[in-house]
Amino acid sequence: MSINKERKLTQSQKMMVFVLSMSLFGLSKMITELLPSNEVGPIEFSISYFAFIPLILAALFHPLYVAVGASVGNIVFAGLLMGDFGGIGEIEGFIEFTLAIYVAGLLVRNPLSKVQLAIASLVGVGIDQLLSTIVDIGKVWFGVEGFDAVPGLPESIVVLEGVSFLNEMVITGVLVGLIPTLILTPKLYGKIEPLLGMRPRDAKVETSIGSYITPGLIATIVILTFVGMIAEFIAEMDMNLAFWSADFINQFADDQKWIGYSAWVILAAGAIFIIYKLVRKKGSGTADLDQAA
Amino acid sequence: MSVFQKFFSKLTVENIKIELMRTAYGNEPTPLAKLDPRMLILWVLIYSIIPWLTHNQTILIGLTLFTAVLAYMSRVSPLLIFLLIVGVISQFTYLVFAAMFLGNSFTVLIAVIPVTMKVATVSLATMAVFTSMDPEKFSDALLKLGVPGKFSFGVSYGYRMLPILIEEYQNIIHSFRLRGKLPAKPGFLYSRYVFYYIKMCIMAFYPMMLNTAKRTRTTVEVLEVRGFSYTLENNIAKDIKLNYLKMTKYDYYFIGISTLITALIYIVGYQFPL
Repeated sequence: MSINKERKLTQSQKMMVFVLSMSLFGLSKMITELLPSNEVGPIEFSISYFAFIPLILAALFHPLYVAVGASVGNIVFAGLLMGDFGGIGEIEGFIEFTLAIYVAGLLVRNPLSKVQLAIASLVGVGIDQLLSTIVDIGKVWFGVEGFDAVPGLPESIVVLEGVSFLNEMVITGVLVGLIPTLILTPKLYGKIEPLLGMRPRDAKVETSIGSYITPGLIATIVILTFVGMIAEFIAEMDMNLAFWSADFINQFADDQKWIGYSAWVILAAGAIFIIYKLVRKKGSGTADLDQAA
Repeated sequence: MSVFQKFFSKLTVENIKIELMRTAYGNEPTPLAKLDPRMLILWVLIYSIIPWLTHNQTILIGLTLFTAVLAYMSRVSPLLIFLLIVGVISQFTYLVFAAMFLGNSFTVLIAVIPVTMKVATVSLATMAVFTSMDPEKFSDALLKLGVPGKFSFGVSYGYRMLPILIEEYQNIIHSFRLRGKLPAKPGFLYSRYVFYYIKMCIMAFYPMMLNTAKRTRTTVEVLEVRGFSYTLENNIAKDIKLNYLKMTKYDYYFIGISTLITALIYIVGYQFPL
């Protein structure tokens, strides 16, 4: 049974789930921004986000709308409203987080099963943190001029990012991810759905995990991860963004040229997609006119 | 230390709420407020890219100063400035600290300064623009630029609902504190207090989720009664909604002046590179 069949939503319910996830996660993100953080030496013990909110919602509703809503909430509330907007770099966070929550939501087949909830929360936060750790290391690796010339920097960045990954997994993943999800999901199940005018998910549905993880999903995940990484590298590297000039590839060192080439490929794919959309939009535009007339 | 104490005594939830509302609704007659929002969005995008294109420190200093002046003219709230400074500092101190510790040199510090300035330029430009822009105008501009309707709706909904959401959350926290009991002993490093507050922050989301779900349903149903989803997809309805967005003479002046200043910064930067 496909996910769209099992957790089917009507047009306005999609909107409700989106708005709910956006406002709740945006609010929580704002609260975590204001919470004080404890720093012991270079390592920071702080809650980066209340992971349990999107996790619970993704377990109870269609995970795609929850994931997109939470990411939009993150950008709008914590980014635009707090004046902390990262430009192109936001694409990376958006893709990583949407992906993480969507996958976590797919893993939950029965919202009352503690084991599935636990696996989903750890996998969800794990995907997000792992991807951002890899990107962070890469960012400094490529971004700082004469990286290898600075003594101690390569080792320290890897060690620090590793420690901060573990730290994030314990605090964000377990303390405010796993534990609240386990406590609150059974409480909210059957209560929050009627408020949105829908029936709770059938807890007894037993579908195999294989039916969700299709080759299409895996391919999309890989491509999106790659696009996010390239966007982040491009945003952080001190380099000329003139994709069209001949120097564009030459400013990368030999072993980094793939970044430049993939930026070109992504740009080309994006351009083709937009042209395709525009052509189609023209068609639908005339249809609109016909309808109105 | 006393400066910090003074600041934190002001840092109450009430003040934060007021500052945020001012950011969202305080449409004072700042120089940027009169401009076309589409132009401003484009301007922010350009300004969040150009600092990354140069290694020249004179240019970077110039750009940081220019955006700082704009942020000052738009009366960005002190809370946001404070959060920016804390964010920028904490982003790089650990790196410098670790490299000094492991590699015993200050070279990293110098390598990191340009990056810090670049981040500061981008944040200052963003804050200047979003403090002066009306949320309604912003979401209309996004819609006009072809951003999916859901996202632009999310922006204006966020701006409008945020104060209500914060107030509700605060009320729930208050009632939790009234009915709850602070641990008798602070414990090691105040750990019991910290856990008590974190637990309260998390548990407060349980009623919050239910309340928000109810409010969301009302909002969406009202929107759908007015044909919201259909309006977003119908080009004629969109055109009627958005045809007030026009470029004026004032916009062209702004483009001209900021291009001139940027060019000046670049010329000075190439003449006297640091």
